[in-house]
Amino acid sequence: MRTIVNAKNIKKVYGTKGNVFTALDNIDLEVQEGEFVGIMGPSGAGKSTLLNVLATIDQPTSGDINIDGTSIVNMNEEQLAAFRRDKLGFIFQDYNLLDTLTVKENIILPLALAKVDPNELEHRVLEVANKFGISPILDKYPYQISGGQKQRTAASRAIISKPSLLLADEPTGALDSKSATDLLESLKGLSEVDKATILLVTHDAFAASYCDRVIFIKDGKMFTELVKGKGSRKEFFQKVLDVLSALGGGQSDSI
Amino acid sequence: MVFSVVIYYTFVSLQYSPEVQMAIESENSLLNIFIAGSVVLILFVAIFILYSNSFFTKKRKREVGLYSLLGLRKKTIGKMLFYENIIMGGIAIIIGVILGTILSKLFTMIVLRLLDTPVEVSFEVSIEAILNTIIVFMIISLFTSFNAYRLIYRFKLIELFRAEKEGEHAPRTSFIAAITSIILIGFSYWIGFQSPTSDVQLLVNLGLYLISIVVGTYLLFRFLTIYILRQLQKKKTIYYNGTNLVGISQLLYRINGNARTLTIIALLSAVTISAISVGYSFYYTNEKQAEKEAPFSYMHISLDESVDKHIEKTIQSDTEHPINGQIDIPVINLNGEVSNPLLQDYLEEGPIKIISENTYNEALRMLDRESNIQLSGNQTIGIQPLLTEYTSADYEEHTITLQLPNKEIELAFSSMLEDRIIPWNYPDFNIVVSNQLFSEIATQITPVTIKAYEVANEKSTKDTTVQIQKIASEDMQLTTFYNIYRKGLESGGLNLFILGFLGLVFLAATGSIIYFKQLTEAHDDRSRYEVLRKIGVSKKELNATIRKQIIFVFGLPLIIGIIHGIVILQIASNIFSVLIGMNLTIPIVITILVYFIIYLGYYFLTLTSVKNTVNN
Repeated sequence: MRTIVNAKNIKKVYGTKGNVFTALDNIDLEVQEGEFVGIMGPSGAGKSTLLNVLATIDQPTSGDINIDGTSIVNMNEEQLAAFRRDKLGFIFQDYNLLDTLTVKENIILPLALAKVDPNELEHRVLEVANKFGISPILDKYPYQISGGQKQRTAASRAIISKPSLLLADEPTGALDSKSATDLLESLKGLSEVDKATILLVTHDAFAASYCDRVIFIKDGKMFTELVKGKGSRKEFFQKVLDVLSALGGGQSDSI
Repeated sequence: MVFSVVIYYTFVSLQYSPEVQMAIESENSLLNIFIAGSVVLILFVAIFILYSNSFFTKKRKREVGLYSLLGLRKKTIGKMLFYENIIMGGIAIIIGVILGTILSKLFTMIVLRLLDTPVEVSFEVSIEAILNTIIVFMIISLFTSFNAYRLIYRFKLIELFRAEKEGEHAPRTSFIAAITSIILIGFSYWIGFQSPTSDVQLLVNLGLYLISIVVGTYLLFRFLTIYILRQLQKKKTIYYNGTNLVGISQLLYRINGNARTLTIIALLSAVTISAISVGYSFYYTNEKQAEKEAPFSYMHISLDESVDKHIEKTIQSDTEHPINGQIDIPVINLNGEVSNPLLQDYLEEGPIKIISENTYNEALRMLDRESNIQLSGNQTIGIQPLLTEYTSADYEEHTITLQLPNKEIELAFSSMLEDRIIPWNYPDFNIVVSNQLFSEIATQITPVTIKAYEVANEKSTKDTTVQIQKIASEDMQLTTFYNIYRKGLESGGLNLFILGFLGLVFLAATGSIIYFKQLTEAHDDRSRYEVLRKIGVSKKELNATIRKQIIFVFGLPLIIGIIHGIVILQIASNIFSVLIGMNLTIPIVITILVYFIIYLGYYFLTLTSVKNTVNN
């Protein structure tokens, strides 16, 4: 088992003197290869900040982060861009597809940027599209397809370059429950079959119940951690809800 | 708006400036030119203001929608926008007039410099110019304010909110339309080069030319560019290579909305380049033209010996302009016929002017030009008539038949020369014959003697010219270099100024249009670039693709504009007789270069602004 993410004492402080806000306070995180980890917490707990720091979009104030054996703290802009392209995959709540490109072009974008051979591209795109069931819409533009299809396109784009780590920020936030379930099933499949390492930020207990392990943070600090173990998804869902109600300020249905 | 007021005010105040009015001796033509210039300016300024106005209202639709949502009555919002616009317009007029006053002094100095007149420019405010400017801009301002007032009534609330999301869809193209664009532009070029046989045909041709070039250019941007980009897309090795994927698709996506702007820019560039080139050419070629028309500083026909002496004394007494050379040129006027129909058409009935080889050689040497022609027997040499493009080939192997009182003699042309020694007078058909033949003819017909003086610094011989003009009678056909040079300089300098001024305005406007457009687009594109950054595109790569896109948007209309401009110039040089036979390469190259440099400035300005917008 390789360790994909190894973060130690991450601290992120916003603002200047006199008006300091600590978003992350000494967080430690370790994720193994093939793990599907959820991060939960109330609004403002620092979930997204943590994800952004791990995604190299944001720099931590202090602390050390190793992803797939590489330290990302001291990289410069150029190196970070290359690193994101080669090692990371992203899925966002609002899809972030380019509306000027077709579904297919959106998916191959990371590979095109890495200047992969066009024949290889075509091959990979079909493979990934089949996995997510979007082969029939490859030539459509984003404005012609549904939200669920958009998110599956985004997911395809995220995994086409076979990243070491897949980061998902509220991917089900804008989806109806059917599309959300489909997507979560696909992600679970990826983690189980393809040994993809996934980090999922969500405040939806249902989405979190698909994870192997859920980390709860509150006010920038690690609150607790739940491991699914051998129980069923329903039992795990209930456990997650229990923690959330203890955490307070989480889901409305947990009050 | 401020910019427009400054330009307009500067121009109008020039028109009323006493220095400029005084400096021009032919006032009527000046006034006409200025009035024509200001009409073009008003039109242009109005279009420009309306354009930028619609640009800003598009940006504010959302804000207006929000007011409406918050429960403001339509009437109140309308009034608010109306007053806002009026106040802004008022402030713009005030600032514009102040800046314009400062600038107009500068421009007055430029005009006077171009006219070569050293005059102290006083600093004054012209009331008429201010009134003129205020009236024009109040009207425009009222119009835009009224437009703003109507904004809220024109759109439904939901449309106001959707304004910024109005998506451009991936454009379709058609091969036929792409081809049509090339055919139309080709057709317009072809028709431009047709020499019309009548005035009506000229107008028809001009109309056809304008329509086909405008439509052709539009189709070119609307379809041909898309077609080319689509072809690029099909080349996977190019398209799937790095940021090309993003750049090409982005351009494709945008070109629909940009086709009109790009067309306007290309056409304006063409007009600007050709207008300034023509103006500059007139100015640039003026001295050469004057030298051809009046080879010597002073020339007149000798009629009365005492008057001749008087004139000679007057010229001698001008110590600032010592005489470099003085010659009597005997000219024989004879009727005749040329065997080349082309030349005969030009000659028609008019007399042929005959000069002897000795006189010709001597006169040219006096003008510091090499000349050593030697003729014998019935050989003759033609001199190129002014404002024509005849070449030696039109003369060689042709003959000319001269009608002497008692017989006809036939001479054979051996070649044609360009250097002229006698003043222009239609028909300008001069030939040089051998000394022997000349004296033979002279025994039968008395030659007319043209007295010619060449002095130093002939450009500034105003005083002597005026004095001689008083002495000489009409019949003496006095021709002075100063008068001709001065006339050319006045019209040339003024043309250059007005065309240059309008060109500058066009250039500033086209630059601003692209700048605004690119900046709005950059604003819309921010989220896209944000996504790319997250996916792992480095700043350097992002900047590179931005640069490529902007180069495309700037470069394409510039190239098309320059090509159109050059073609228009070719056509113009066929229409304006003065430009015939002039080498315009240098003025054209200089104009294009200057245009290009200013345009480049806009490019860098836009690039920096777009980069800042995207990277923030």
